[in-house]
Amino acid sequence: MPLDYKIAERTLANGLRVIVSEDHSVPNVTVNLWVNVGSRHEVEGRTGFAHLFEHLMFQGSRNVASGEHFSALMAAGGRLNATTWFDRTNYFETVPRGAMDLALWMEADRHGHLLDAVSQENLDNQRDVVKEEKRQRYDNMPYGNALIDIYAAIFPKGHPYHHATIGSMADLDAASLQDVHDFFRSHYGPNNTVLALVGDLAPDEGFASAERYFGSLPATASLRREPVDPLPPLPAPVRDEHIEDVPSDHLYIAFRLPVDDTPEFFASSLALDIIGGLATSRLVRRLVRREQSATSVSAHAMGFVDGISLGFMLIDVAEGFSADAVEAAACEELVRFAEQGPTEIEMESAMAQTERGWLSSLASQEERADQICHSATLQGDAGYLNTYLDRLAEVTPAQVQEAAGRWLRPQSRAVVAYLKQDGATQ
Amino acid sequence: MTPSESVTQPDGATQPDGVLGRPEVSAPEPWSFPASQRARLANGLAVVSYDIPGQYVISVCLAVPLPLDREPVDREGIATIMARTLDEGTALHTAEEFAELLERKGIALGAGVSEAGLVVDVDVPKRHLSDALDLLSQAVREPAFPANEVSRHVKTRLAEIDQERAVPGQRAALEFITTYFDSDERASRPTGGAKATVAAITSPDLVAFHAANVAPSGATVVVAGDLSDLDVVSEVEQALGSWSGVPAEAIEPREAARAPDAARVVFVDRPGSVQTEFYVGCPGPDHSVEGGWAAYQVLGFVVGGSPNARVDAVLREDKGFTYGIRSGFRPRRRGGLFLTSGSVRADSTVEALGLLLDILDKAREGFTAEETRAGVDFISKTAPGRYATADAVAEEAATLSLEGLTTDFTTANLLALADVDAAALTAAYDRYVNGEWTVVIVGDASLYAEGVRALNRGPLTVLPA
Repeated sequence: MPLDYKIAERTLANGLRVIVSEDHSVPNVTVNLWVNVGSRHEVEGRTGFAHLFEHLMFQGSRNVASGEHFSALMAAGGRLNATTWFDRTNYFETVPRGAMDLALWMEADRHGHLLDAVSQENLDNQRDVVKEEKRQRYDNMPYGNALIDIYAAIFPKGHPYHHATIGSMADLDAASLQDVHDFFRSHYGPNNTVLALVGDLAPDEGFASAERYFGSLPATASLRREPVDPLPPLPAPVRDEHIEDVPSDHLYIAFRLPVDDTPEFFASSLALDIIGGLATSRLVRRLVRREQSATSVSAHAMGFVDGISLGFMLIDVAEGFSADAVEAAACEELVRFAEQGPTEIEMESAMAQTERGWLSSLASQEERADQICHSATLQGDAGYLNTYLDRLAEVTPAQVQEAAGRWLRPQSRAVVAYLKQDGATQ
Repeated sequence: MTPSESVTQPDGATQPDGVLGRPEVSAPEPWSFPASQRARLANGLAVVSYDIPGQYVISVCLAVPLPLDREPVDREGIATIMARTLDEGTALHTAEEFAELLERKGIALGAGVSEAGLVVDVDVPKRHLSDALDLLSQAVREPAFPANEVSRHVKTRLAEIDQERAVPGQRAALEFITTYFDSDERASRPTGGAKATVAAITSPDLVAFHAANVAPSGATVVVAGDLSDLDVVSEVEQALGSWSGVPAEAIEPREAARAPDAARVVFVDRPGSVQTEFYVGCPGPDHSVEGGWAAYQVLGFVVGGSPNARVDAVLREDKGFTYGIRSGFRPRRRGGLFLTSGSVRADSTVEALGLLLDILDKAREGFTAEETRAGVDFISKTAPGRYATADAVAEEAATLSLEGLTTDFTTANLLALADVDAAALTAAYDRYVNGEWTVVIVGDASLYAEGVRALNRGPLTVLPA
């Protein structure tokens, strides 16, 4: 189905890329900014810093008081937040049309003049908040650190994706005000930022407002480095086992995948869906439905830009079954899939589910704005949301089989296992 | 260099040339909740549709009133298992065949239960709507509940119960209902059932439970999305018009009683926890509350709905004890709860709990005009965005239908926000909050239980891990 979300793009003299997507279905505008900096740009000893920095962006800037970004925009009917990930940092708010200029003014203030307001007190406070975020989401949760373990197992030390975006407690403790200043000067600036405005406005109105509030900011961000060299699939299996007080055995079977936005990545992602992601996937049919040796199987592909991506399957092993036997069965299916390739029905199912997922993700202005910034920042193409499904549809069963044969082989897996303390597995 | 150590005050007079002053916010454009079309099929099924142009994935929600107290006491959780097995084999298809039929058309089908009923939720690209309605119909009308699929889902639910106990937030929520509600109430026990009652559920139990409780009369199907060139009523009629069955006699809902000793502190020991989870509650209203529901939405925001709300202004932004604690009023069909929950750094447990309860109690003294206005504006002005997608509209309509309400309630409530002032907010809070908190704590009791006891916030019980 051809999509035709409107896309208009202009680059300001200072390098800010502005994309306007006109949509009058509700009287709102989503303001979304992507800064091309994420945890992949962090240096040793300062993991978690890109995310800590993102928190400081809410603690005031030259003309905005600490906390006012939230309070002023929420009182104007804004829903807002920010997130940090391996590849990027994003800042976003959806506001009534009449509050768009306020949102842009506040964004320009913090994206241009954060350092006027950064203080040791704010840094210390948000460091504490981020440490609680880490404890809540990772350290105090069963299996909470599994993803962190996967990144460390599958990417070599020193690689941009070896460490998780949340970072380590020691590195968070080490972060200084000088780091905040250095980070802002290196990475923040209109020449390293994409701004999307999606909603109840015409392109010219959006370009004019962007120019009004961001036009005077200097192009301060340093040049981006080139992507690091591509990695091949893991040459030999890696295993990281944790015996812990967890309710059931979990197996995370992870693979390196090709870099995002390539036919090879699309193909490997479809292969992963067919093997473990669909409700009708091969592992669900065998392990969950027939053998009932697992209570659930899921699979996820994470597209990255720095030479490599990541895919993993999560298998929740059923009580009374051996994690080793379940892993062996999963490996059998990987081999079988690489030998056989997908059936027609499997291709149809994986494509259909991807299509619905994609259309659902574009249903709200917020997510559409985020997707526009994503593809403009990381793939260079602001119109990707309209063409992705057509490009996906070009992937052939042979390409899916080939991708599985290269990237999803048992010998290229990294397994992170969380096993129950009582040794219930035989 | 010496970094700046104080926040610069905004001062237009000293701004460098070219810096623009803060823009004024102009009033939002008028907006109203999407209009509905309503019909009723001969079998009693209500059909409600919302045409929302540009929403290419259609959301279909079928809501069937099914109060949880219809579950046999020794089979509690059966409604949940039924919801999960509706599509695991039907009169025409095996479970695997059915899953394949759904996936080949890009259909996502899920089902769950609340205290009020069963909701089956279907998302489908527009061109496959007819197929989706047909499959929804088969799942709801003719589920076969094959024994091997039922036993599999029973085992999965049993494993899930272990998971829930291990996750501190879920553990706290479970202990809260046990403590808060009178033990005779269904509400005091998990919606999905306990190990003993779930383990007893069989295929014949499900067949009987389904036959007695899932019928078209009184149920509502909501269809939301881009409905141009579609005759929704006729599509639904074709799929569900011949659905028959007599629902069990309706039971007038009543408010679940609070336990006589509910105002107390329960500390669930979780040795080695690096955070402590709080779950704090007292009675709250339902949607029909005298004076209107709108004030309670605003209260949730003002007390605990943002980093600048009363709770997080202290516990997060001042003290740095938490990533975020949230408060809100949770309506049930009759009565409701006012809940506050979140986690704090373990070694702040005692201080954080004292501060939290003080903030919640002190709010009875009143709210300012400024925070009231901010809350009213947030709730009312975010509505167009919160209800912009097919998914959100269908969910709102389906959920309200189980209370006997339509989205006219949503519209009226948004209009009523205009009349909420500080006095109304204070009166609304005072109507329910009287300081008699049920407090559940999940954390390391060996380190912090005595400190909590010394706060004198009610009798303390320590439960082993």
